[in-house]
Amino acid sequence: MRTGDSDVIRGRRDPNPARILPLRAPGRAGQAHLVWAYQTHVTAIYQYVYSRVGNRADAEDLTSQVFMKAINGMRDDVSVTELRSWLYRVAQTTLADHWRHYYAEETTELLENLAPPPPHPENAEAAQRVEALLETLPEQYRRVLELRFLKGYSVREVAQELGLSETNVKVIQFRALNRAGRERREN
Amino acid sequence: MDDDPEQLDKYVEDLLQDRKPERTSLGDEDALRARQAAAMLRAARPGASLPSGDFVRRIQRSIEEWVRPQQEAAAPRRDLSRRSLLLGGAGGLAAGLVAAVAGQRLLHPSRNLGGQPPLVTEGTWREVMALQALRDGVPTRFSSGALEGYLLRTGQEVRALSAVCTHMGCLLNWSTFRSEFECPCHGATFDINGEPSGDYSDPNALRPLPVLEVRVVRGTVQVYTV
Repeated sequence: MRTGDSDVIRGRRDPNPARILPLRAPGRAGQAHLVWAYQTHVTAIYQYVYSRVGNRADAEDLTSQVFMKAINGMRDDVSVTELRSWLYRVAQTTLADHWRHYYAEETTELLENLAPPPPHPENAEAAQRVEALLETLPEQYRRVLELRFLKGYSVREVAQELGLSETNVKVIQFRALNRAGRERREN
Repeated sequence: MDDDPEQLDKYVEDLLQDRKPERTSLGDEDALRARQAAAMLRAARPGASLPSGDFVRRIQRSIEEWVRPQQEAAAPRRDLSRRSLLLGGAGGLAAGLVAAVAGQRLLHPSRNLGGQPPLVTEGTWREVMALQALRDGVPTRFSSGALEGYLLRTGQEVRALSAVCTHMGCLLNWSTFRSEFECPCHGATFDINGEPSGDYSDPNALRPLPVLEVRVVRGTVQVYTV
């Protein structure tokens, strides 16, 4: 069965889809295709990055970096599918650099699991991953994270809701996030 | 530095307020993993991970500049019609181009498109998936060549709609909960027939999603595409 995988944006077929050369886009029309192809991925890449850094400022910076690097490093006659996986690959390495430069004292293995990128940007997929992650946690951990993150409660509000002290809530949040972090790595 | 509940909560609080967290050195990998888990949870809040319209416009302009070639060669004619196709669903961006596509309708009489001009005028039929793989009444996403679309099965019949929002060209998601296509960029919605729905208001009224040409041959769904 033929799918979009073998079709190139500019209508020419690449004998070797794996090769990545730093070419510039040649004609005006070819350029418009390429611009369009990148532009349609902006939201998906932003969401991918956002779900890994969790704040707008970093997500915007990193998304811009991803596109700048991707455009400089990619030849122009690629298929939409190739371009998509290339963008996700650049996003993964950009995120790894981000974590390394910002937070790690020494280089650790911070690369995102290099699982194949999502075939299509699906918000549902991210929601499912979070749900699955919460499922692995003990009830109290899960409650605190749900109230804090999904409902946006302050520490004080969580404390009131669950009849705990604020210090206690922070300790549970700490343990829950550490546990969730380990679960993410293992899965 | 060793991590502790106070430090981590400061980080969480920054994320919840959508602030850039302070740059700190973290001693161990667990501390880092905990922050990555926090980011993932933060992003799961409905609507949290949507880029602002400003940002989308800004980066789309940058992309144009980054792609701009050093030298501009003459473009083949075929590429021009492909361009019309690619931008055909993209609202304001496509203003003059839609007219260009419509002008070509005579070359390629419309097939079951409900009176709309076809997006693809000189394409080929390509197989996308088995009819069996489609669930009745549930739109299924496909990519084929330059087309991004949804297949909609009703019994033995299949229709196809473009998955590109007619506002600014973002790719639409199908919501099974609300039974509508939703644009992750600015919240436009379309019903299962591709008609704009909901109270999304834009100065330029939204056009319906373009209908794509589709047929079933020996149990396989084919789309007319380039």
